[in-house]
Amino acid sequence: MMNINLKSQKSPFQKLDGRSKLVALAVIFTLVLLFSHWAYILGLLVLVMLIWWVARLPFNMIRDLFKFFLVIAVVILVVQIFFYPGTTNLFRISNPIRVIGFSGYITLEGILFGIAMVLRLVVIMIVAPLLVMTTPLPDLMLALVKLKVPYRFAFIMTTALSLLPSIQNHAAIIQQAQLCRGITYDGAGKFFAKLRASVALMVPLILGTFRDSQTLEIAMSSRAFGAPIKRTFLLESHFGVADYLILVFAILLLVGGIYLRARGFGAY
Amino acid sequence: MTIPEQQPVQPAPQPAPRTYKARGRFFGMPIATLAIWASLYIASSAIPALPIPGMAGMITVNAIMTAISGMILGPAAAIANAAGGIVSMILFPYGFSAGPLGFLTVTLGGLVAGLLFANKWIPAAILELLIIGSWFINPQTWQTGMWMVPLPYTAIALLVIVIKPLRDWVRRSILTQHKVWMWPAVFLMCTVGHAAEFMTTNTMVNWMFHLSWQYWVPTLPYWIMIDTVVILASTIVGVGVLNGLKKARLPQFSDSLEK
Repeated sequence: MMNINLKSQKSPFQKLDGRSKLVALAVIFTLVLLFSHWAYILGLLVLVMLIWWVARLPFNMIRDLFKFFLVIAVVILVVQIFFYPGTTNLFRISNPIRVIGFSGYITLEGILFGIAMVLRLVVIMIVAPLLVMTTPLPDLMLALVKLKVPYRFAFIMTTALSLLPSIQNHAAIIQQAQLCRGITYDGAGKFFAKLRASVALMVPLILGTFRDSQTLEIAMSSRAFGAPIKRTFLLESHFGVADYLILVFAILLLVGGIYLRARGFGAY
Repeated sequence: MTIPEQQPVQPAPQPAPRTYKARGRFFGMPIATLAIWASLYIASSAIPALPIPGMAGMITVNAIMTAISGMILGPAAAIANAAGGIVSMILFPYGFSAGPLGFLTVTLGGLVAGLLFANKWIPAAILELLIIGSWFINPQTWQTGMWMVPLPYTAIALLVIVIKPLRDWVRRSILTQHKVWMWPAVFLMCTVGHAAEFMTTNTMVNWMFHLSWQYWVPTLPYWIMIDTVVILASTIVGVGVLNGLKKARLPQFSDSLEK
């Protein structure tokens, strides 16, 4: 099981309010889905990379993420290059193969649309880590509560995160115990071996942690969880000048994007 | 001198009895249990199992968690899965091919199976129809053979939801923990949960990356194999967990049904 680092990186964006960052994330995500032209999506990618650079985040994380998406990126590119119904023929590969819908030509539109889709994939995948790497998780939860996400839901998320190390310990103990009984977790690359080991791990893990949930429930009840009172927060967040600037910039970007799209720009 | 009319003595207003809603619960499940489930979900997202050729991300063990969540938590599974999904999507983005909206897939998986298990089959059927419908709204899916993509498990899930004798048998077999029939019943319930999840993922991926039939149709047998493996693994885990919870008298949704 992977170790989970719950600490955010030190970055100039850390002091910003979580709400402004959530809004900016939502705007970038909306825009990347709104546009399907490679140049517009490339613009968004440059913006995200710029934020990444200003936030002083490690670029090797993008490289690590891209390792996971390399296969899919190639598949998206190949499918679009060969099967996108383009009109500008670049070069001929073979005779038309009607059974698989291949015209026999590689088209310019196919290549550009394929590139656009791969760029979209990259933006989608690197934009979410940007938020969590610059926002301590308690601040993120506070931002969600301030955005009127029900408190009990935010509580579930916060508690889940704080219980995570304990659950990982549980899992490690179970794995050690099962190792003694001959169940190996090191079947590198062997899907069924890994799946079998995971199944053997999950039943005792779920049952063991459910037992702990009763202790948690009693602790919550004894502190009158859910009593109808006005809640106060240990942490506080305030909108600063930088937050307002980000908010205004994000809204302008969104309005501009919608306007461009409505005028027929940014589509392929 | 007139004697003032004596006012009838008004009884002192009684303070309204203070009632507290069971705010520590969602759909009958304790919030503590949901938090534990969300935490388990995040932990299981850290176990990559299988890279998926042709789709962003990989199948992680959290697919099993989604498939069995409805039987264990009921409709509240949607909340626990959403909470776990949001956090794991941020921590482990490779498990979510739909990007920041990826948590919706696991939410729907838990919700449809949970509603079915709670015998609220009409909202479950509506959701399943919406999931299938959203696949067919995309003009991309009107291409050759794309109608086959939702068939293997989503159609089966819909049949389990709408056919009353089948639905009742599945619920009864799980609730009574029948030694033999529990296995196929849990398999069908896992099918409902998993189908809702992967069909939502397929639809989102198709809207985002415009993959044509040349991708979906040839890879269909591969997807059927993957889904079968996930559902079978979920069945084994699901039966083990349901039996264990009952024996250890730990909280599960069927307790609130019995009450």
